[in-house]
Amino acid sequence: MALRRDIYRLFENVVGPENMSDDPAVLRSYMYQPFGAKEGVWADISPAAVIMPSSTEEVVAIAKICNRYGIVFKAMSTGWGMHNLPGVEGAVSLDLRRMNRILEIDEKNMYAVVEPHVICVQLQVEAMKKGLNCHIIGAGSNTSVLASATSVVGYGPDGLSMGFSGRNLLGVEWVLPTGDVLKLGSLGADSGWFCGDGPGPSLRGIMRGWEGAWGGLGVFTKCAVKLFHWNGPPELEMKRTPPNYVLKEPIKFFKVALFSFPTIEKLAEAALQLGEAEIGWFVSRLSPSFVGLQMASGANYVATWNTGMLQEMLKYAFLFVIFANSEREFDYQQKVLAQILEDTGGQTSPISEAKEMQELTSTAVIKVDEVTRSCFRTTGGFNTSFGAMDTVDLAMNQIKAGRELKDKYISKGVLMDDGGDNSATLVFDQGHLAYTEMLLMYDHHDRGSAEGAYQYLAESNRAMLDKKLGTPIFQVSQVGKGKHGTFGPACFNYDKWLRKIKREFDPNNTCDPTAYASPEE
Amino acid sequence: MILELKDYLDDMKRCARCSLCKWPPLAQIKSWRFSNNCPSIARYNFHSYSGGGRMALGLALAEGRLDTITDELLNIVYRCTACGACDSSCKYNSELELLWPIYSTRAHLAGMGHFLPEHSMIIDSLRKEDNTMMQPKADRGKWAEGLDVKDLSKGEKAEVVYHAGCLYCYDPELSAIARDTVLLLKEAGVDVGIRGSQETCCGSTAFQLGFQGEFIKFAESNIDDWNAAGVARVVTSCACGFGIMKSVYPLLGKEMKFEVLHITQYLDELLKQSKLKFSRSFPARVTYHDPCNLGRKAETYVPWKGQDKKVLGQFILREPEKIVHRGWNGIYEPPRDIIRSVPGIQLVEMERIMEYSWCCGAGSGVKQTMNDLALWIASERIEEAKSVGSEAIVTACPWCEQNLKDAIKEAGGNLMVYDIVELARQAL
Repeated sequence: MALRRDIYRLFENVVGPENMSDDPAVLRSYMYQPFGAKEGVWADISPAAVIMPSSTEEVVAIAKICNRYGIVFKAMSTGWGMHNLPGVEGAVSLDLRRMNRILEIDEKNMYAVVEPHVICVQLQVEAMKKGLNCHIIGAGSNTSVLASATSVVGYGPDGLSMGFSGRNLLGVEWVLPTGDVLKLGSLGADSGWFCGDGPGPSLRGIMRGWEGAWGGLGVFTKCAVKLFHWNGPPELEMKRTPPNYVLKEPIKFFKVALFSFPTIEKLAEAALQLGEAEIGWFVSRLSPSFVGLQMASGANYVATWNTGMLQEMLKYAFLFVIFANSEREFDYQQKVLAQILEDTGGQTSPISEAKEMQELTSTAVIKVDEVTRSCFRTTGGFNTSFGAMDTVDLAMNQIKAGRELKDKYISKGVLMDDGGDNSATLVFDQGHLAYTEMLLMYDHHDRGSAEGAYQYLAESNRAMLDKKLGTPIFQVSQVGKGKHGTFGPACFNYDKWLRKIKREFDPNNTCDPTAYASPEE
Repeated sequence: MILELKDYLDDMKRCARCSLCKWPPLAQIKSWRFSNNCPSIARYNFHSYSGGGRMALGLALAEGRLDTITDELLNIVYRCTACGACDSSCKYNSELELLWPIYSTRAHLAGMGHFLPEHSMIIDSLRKEDNTMMQPKADRGKWAEGLDVKDLSKGEKAEVVYHAGCLYCYDPELSAIARDTVLLLKEAGVDVGIRGSQETCCGSTAFQLGFQGEFIKFAESNIDDWNAAGVARVVTSCACGFGIMKSVYPLLGKEMKFEVLHITQYLDELLKQSKLKFSRSFPARVTYHDPCNLGRKAETYVPWKGQDKKVLGQFILREPEKIVHRGWNGIYEPPRDIIRSVPGIQLVEMERIMEYSWCCGAGSGVKQTMNDLALWIASERIEEAKSVGSEAIVTACPWCEQNLKDAIKEAGGNLMVYDIVELARQAL
């Protein structure tokens, strides 16, 4: 649905003609979104135009035009996934790529202020120069710092020591769906960016709740995020070991190890104990398939998989990283780890000490740069199912349910055989919370595979309800309108609260509700 | 034909839209300031202007999802130096082709008669005058007037033919580099000749703009001429020429009875064999700019021909195994070794180098057709060179040299730009 030319010109006056387009070629390129597409790569609905604001003022002006003329808008930062696109006809996309500055790194108070299009690795390299580091989400360091902090989930395996994005969020500048600007936390009391919950207003729960509003509640134009102590060198020099870039020199007091356990329960117990002992810098459950897919060559992966070696060695394994500030602390953490492994029957994987494994994995856990390789390379189509940011027990129950269900679809041949259990990740926030999601790979250009994958996803969503496993994290944003109505009654009618928030903050329903919650029941 | 959009359907369908094509390989990013790798999206910002955006548009064209060819579509397709940075970054995590679908999209459009008006002038010049510079063919050999060098087009024989390339032949400021190259080779005792006015364009610009018929004509003619001349080596100091001869000529299936070398490879070899020796000091802090065509685009391209086989349920296994061109095997060390051999010189590296080097901005006809974009891209490189305290940029391609110099001239400042041959001559 085309925009009226007079309205187009109003937007154009805000951002300049070179930063707005409704050319079919531009729009078509934005419609390409394999993650979240039901089959193939194309979105069903085209944005009416793409607008690229460069400042808060421009976002405000755009939101006000939208309210005045009843135009729905939807903002995106790096834009990876169908949930970034408008789900209604006639809506405009706000591509925030021009808002890409790191505004401040406060070394003393350990936070950074960023705009929406700053990606994690950009912030990380600048923070490291000041002896600091930032949390990076599991999706990779090519994703927006602000998006995961304000709007979408926010878990990453370094969360064992660096929390998760929602908790690391401090002051926020928020352009509401109406175009009004709301400043949260200390920023709201003109006291700087240092705190998300006061002395100004704290609306953390409303703004993002547990997993974010997925772009359905306005535009977050600036935010501050917590930074963490980095005891490594200010610049990480890489060397080439084709096809990988790996650390040129090992980092002092930094050690990566893979441990395997006799059962998933023992693995969970070990993870919990690591958290309780407050040791470790990074922990992640890695499925045999996920580890194997770090290999550069698909053919090598298949050959290795067919030997059964990966499945044997890594059936219940996690990757654990110690990064200490001193030799004494390093020794202490190793001793505690040894005790936990003894208590839980954990064994060091034979490949753990290999130089190549140490080099490759050390780089990957710091830079989080190989997600596309593991998730999209095999079949092209990728999605994720189940999903919890809750207790370790709930995560384990999801893994069991997911494995059982996935096996059924793998047997049908519609999903890639990754051993069934391709669950990712583990405890975070020093162990008192756990994250999981069940990955699936399928051929999105093969109708049988794509339909099979979506049957699996629908069935996994039902399993979440039937087995009382909570709400599936990513699926809620993908299922479309009415999704909360399914899960709400089973989860304290949370959907009613989301709708109330939506009505209150977006009285004209101007901000695309598709991936969030529609105001009506 | 070697550029067929349909050959890349699978690649275009399986882009993850992860945006890795927009940045250098993540582990190699060293600062926020120099964290772009793709000049096109860095300048125009719409996703369409990225490697991934172009994959989407290539697929849309192939699938008939774009009804009209708009001016903006042509802008998206051609406001790109085809530098290949997107391709190298993508392949760190994937086994997809990205640059060749971009070329093939251009060929697809050119085949339908869609290109920019400025491209017509370049191609007309190529058809009529055998060069892309809109200059008379008869003047091509003027750069070598007075130079004591064999002319192979007149039946003389030499072991090595020096191919100057269009820009060196016709640009009066740059042709001195071509002369210096011949003199250097002769000083090292190399039996070198040229083809004077009979030399023709390498076809690089035609190929990159999607005019593959013209490219094939010039490439085949060059191969025939060099085979007939009986030379053992073809040496060029133009990175664009080298890149196309090395990476694409072999795809034509014609026997090439000669080895293709860039001058940096040859000079490096001569220095290591002590046939050349640098004795004069060049006390400066310099940085080296990797030309795309000498670096990541210099690997001989082997198109994958085979079958996708489903294993492990839906895992797509390419049989035979695909050769992935990651750009890691470009000519990176020879130019650096030459610079390091110059007494008194200090070589400092910029942040974006080798396979993730930032483009100079001149490639793929951009310098000739969109000079503003070319200068903007070059200005970014100049800022990067300054950021490491460099007094000069050394490079090994006339297009890079010209564009970087033009950008410095426009912006002001005292940063110098040297061709590596110029540096070598000064150091002898």
